[in-house]
Amino acid sequence: MKGNRSIAVRLIFVITLWSTLIFIAALGYNYYHSRAVLEGELESNARNLALSLANRVETELVSVSRVVEEMSVSLETGNYRDKRQLNNLLSQTLASNPNILGCTAAFEPYAFSRSSYGFASYFYREKGSIAYKELQQTYSNLPYFFWDWYQIPRELGHEEWSEPYFDEGGANQLLTTCSVPFYEKRDGKRRFRGIVTADITLNSLMELISSVRILRTGYAALFSRQGMVLAHPLKNAVMNETFFSLAESRHDTGLRAIGRQMISGKSGFVNCTNFLGEKSWLYYAPIRSTGWSLAVVFPEAELMENVWNLTVVMAFIGFSGIVLLSLTVFLIARSITRPLTTLAATSRTIADGNFDLELPQVKIFDEVGVLTSSFQSMITSLKEYIRNLTETTAAKERIQSELKLAKDIQASLLPRIFPPFPERPEFDIFALMHPAKEVGGDFYDFFFIDDNHLCFLVADVADKGVPAALYMMVAKTLLKSEGQRLGDPGKILFHVNNILAEDNESSMFATVFCGILDTATGEVRFSNAGHNPPMLIRSGEVSFMGSTPGMVLGPIKNAPFATGSIILHPGDSLLLYTDGVTEAIDRQGGFFGENSLLTFVRQVPFSDSRAMVLTVREELLRFSLGVEQSDDITLLCVIYRGLP
Amino acid sequence: MTIETIKQTSALVVAVSGRMDAVTAPEYEKKINELLDSGEVSYVVDFGQLEYISSAGLRALLSTTRRIRDKQGCILLANIVGNVKEVFEMSGFGSIFTVHATVDQALKMLPG
Repeated sequence: MKGNRSIAVRLIFVITLWSTLIFIAALGYNYYHSRAVLEGELESNARNLALSLANRVETELVSVSRVVEEMSVSLETGNYRDKRQLNNLLSQTLASNPNILGCTAAFEPYAFSRSSYGFASYFYREKGSIAYKELQQTYSNLPYFFWDWYQIPRELGHEEWSEPYFDEGGANQLLTTCSVPFYEKRDGKRRFRGIVTADITLNSLMELISSVRILRTGYAALFSRQGMVLAHPLKNAVMNETFFSLAESRHDTGLRAIGRQMISGKSGFVNCTNFLGEKSWLYYAPIRSTGWSLAVVFPEAELMENVWNLTVVMAFIGFSGIVLLSLTVFLIARSITRPLTTLAATSRTIADGNFDLELPQVKIFDEVGVLTSSFQSMITSLKEYIRNLTETTAAKERIQSELKLAKDIQASLLPRIFPPFPERPEFDIFALMHPAKEVGGDFYDFFFIDDNHLCFLVADVADKGVPAALYMMVAKTLLKSEGQRLGDPGKILFHVNNILAEDNESSMFATVFCGILDTATGEVRFSNAGHNPPMLIRSGEVSFMGSTPGMVLGPIKNAPFATGSIILHPGDSLLLYTDGVTEAIDRQGGFFGENSLLTFVRQVPFSDSRAMVLTVREELLRFSLGVEQSDDITLLCVIYRGLP
Repeated sequence: MTIETIKQTSALVVAVSGRMDAVTAPEYEKKINELLDSGEVSYVVDFGQLEYISSAGLRALLSTTRRIRDKQGCILLANIVGNVKEVFEMSGFGSIFTVHATVDQALKMLPG
């Protein structure tokens, strides 16, 4: 389960981590990019809005100044010296321009008539009708010549808008006056004659500006040429505070700098803290005719709110996506690891030797599916293999037991009861055969041909194991039957060879030393078919019995076998052996050898044939200690005692 | 046991060294059988480096020789010395095989 968790967790961790990082980077970029785009758009929107508002104000003001300019032109060209004529012009102008609250034509001293020092005719609206006043009478304590509306355009010589003011009639109307100077030509000179004015209420314009709402809390504001607040959400500040006094109260030098830009007729787009204490974007534009400045204010928080909201929504979607992705990854990882876990559990069960398992069905041939399928075929193969192995093992066990039986049979075929002829004191005989494998190709035999002739022989069939054992059976049977029939070693070997050479497809052969002891005389007649020469032990002297070896039995027919003869004296003995003795191997791989055998037999005293054979056998065991016996070992000793 | 073969004009010289016993004799038999199957029929077996030959080795020699002769081929033995020579003399194998003192001598006996 640990592996299962680790793959899934690792996948989820890595994928979630990376997708989160990528997503956050994208989100951040998007936020800042949107912000930048928005700021760009904001500037253009702010500019458009400010310019359109300024334009509307400008239009209103220009329409008034046109009227005033027309009046001034009329006064210059028409020369109006007649009061009735003048009043007619003024009252008609007022009547036909509903946005004008009042209009004045004020003359320089004695400029209207030589009889009157000052003359200013003022028509104004009052309670729905047009009223008339002559200002030289109204402003008796401060003549109208000294009022700003008269003095400033007179000095400047061009149209002039007054700073806005509240009317004194108490209607609490914010007014401004457009004053235009007019001249007369006298003696070829253009001489200043007076000022013509029109008063308009700014209430509707201020309402227009105050009604501007940008987003929820954004607004538009209007400042006079001197920075006086004309329109602003801070109602208390209107006509009470200036841009600079507000900036001062906030200790904001940045705002003052902006204010200076504004009253000098510039336009600009800045980020600042507005008078309401909010971070805002501010666009300001001048109103040319009056020198006022219009500002539109966009609260940053609200602007960025949309970007922020968008970002939050995107973040929500993104993180939901990541959660879904992680879930999907988890499911996929589990779909991979679950069969793997099953496979792991299955392999443990298989390791315990249980092959009858159902693996999960392969539905999709992905890598895991292929693995499962391979695993299934592995189980099938293993099952088959184990079944074969079981069969083989059973077969091997059967063969083993058969070999065991064969070994017993082979052993029982060799004379094993010693002394074999206790009633015959003339000789003493002992033999043993130890096969290298279960069954061997070596054998010995001895039997009486007649009362006085003991035939004894040692043979070695080429190779070892079952083939040798089978051949040995044949050779042994033949040698005994032919031995008893023929009674001469040479003849025995000749005949047996011919029988064996017949149809010898397998190229098997056997070496045989065969001797016949005349128990009465001690004469041994012998013949050798390629066998190791026996050892003759005579009064302490040990020597190899010289014999001309003949051909081994088996390969070719009609091979000649000579019969030799030797006389044994009482006490003499013959030791017959197979090459398993001389070729016994020690740890270093060296042979025991004929000389060692000769020396050993010479040194070791022995009293009877059994002692001699067993002593030699023990020496061989000592020699090849720990080394597996490489060849069958056969020893046969016959001691001639002579007649008692 | 190692077996090296050198192709001569008249025959294939098979040099056998080491021990030729019950364990290694089948190797020799297999090798000769393969050579026979590949069409090689004339052999000179060099026993100069052979340390030991057991009855199983002799049997392998006998059985392969039989197969070679069945195919109208010929096999000459050369350079049989030491222990191996004793075994050959004792077992009478010297009379079954044509044995030469050296490989060159054996090669001369074969038709080019």
